[in-house]
Amino acid sequence: MTELAAPFAMSLPAVSKHLKVLERAGLIARGREAQWRPCRLEARPLKDAFNWLEHYRRFWEQSLDRLDAYLHELQVKEKKNGRRK
Amino acid sequence: MAAGSNAATQPEEFELVITRLFDAPRALVWKAWTEPEHRVRWMGPQGFTGSIVKMDLRSGGAYRFHLRSADGADLWQQGVYREVVEPKRLVCTYVWTDAEGNPTQPETLLTLTFEDLGLKTRLTLHQVLFESVPARDSHHGGWTSSLERLAEYLAKSLS
Repeated sequence: MTELAAPFAMSLPAVSKHLKVLERAGLIARGREAQWRPCRLEARPLKDAFNWLEHYRRFWEQSLDRLDAYLHELQVKEKKNGRRK
Repeated sequence: MAAGSNAATQPEEFELVITRLFDAPRALVWKAWTEPEHRVRWMGPQGFTGSIVKMDLRSGGAYRFHLRSADGADLWQQGVYREVVEPKRLVCTYVWTDAEGNPTQPETLLTLTFEDLGLKTRLTLHQVLFESVPARDSHHGGWTSSLERLAEYLAKSLS
């Protein structure tokens, strides 16, 4: 924590408080080795939050391309059937 | 408090809007979307094959679709229809799940609007994070509460 706090103009207790909030939010993981508690950034929750939209977007864009082609196919068929009748 | 409530109530950051103009009349686009034999013909990106496990097209009815990608990966989509207004509006909950029905992505609310433009149809697909919809069911996603907590944290550290 002393190492983490070094670059900031913040007291150690203030840094400790911020770390606790980040830990509760699952955004960092902290080890416990006597007086030394290494922190590790847990980027997954954040990354997940911004990835889901992108997954769905890609899925829909590509599905709608296929729907477009399928609608065209349906109408060509309808026209052909119409002419035969 | 401001940033904390923003994360939960501002849908803009967690919504998806796609608009498409189809060269087909609205009744046909609706049919292609809602009738199983048509739906399976275009479900998913190129190379995907799909099947309908369940499709109870009425308000409160459930659906579940299975998709397999070209390289053999399985994906299930499921949800409950909230509004079925033929041929112009369809609202349903929507989520991707594994084989057992456990969500693999955040659950969302999907609203489709089919706009009649004569021989053409404008489709608007609006997808929003389920948690930010007021009419949500009892449902919780760990990652949203993480985001809310991050916003709370940021608000506190700025004050």
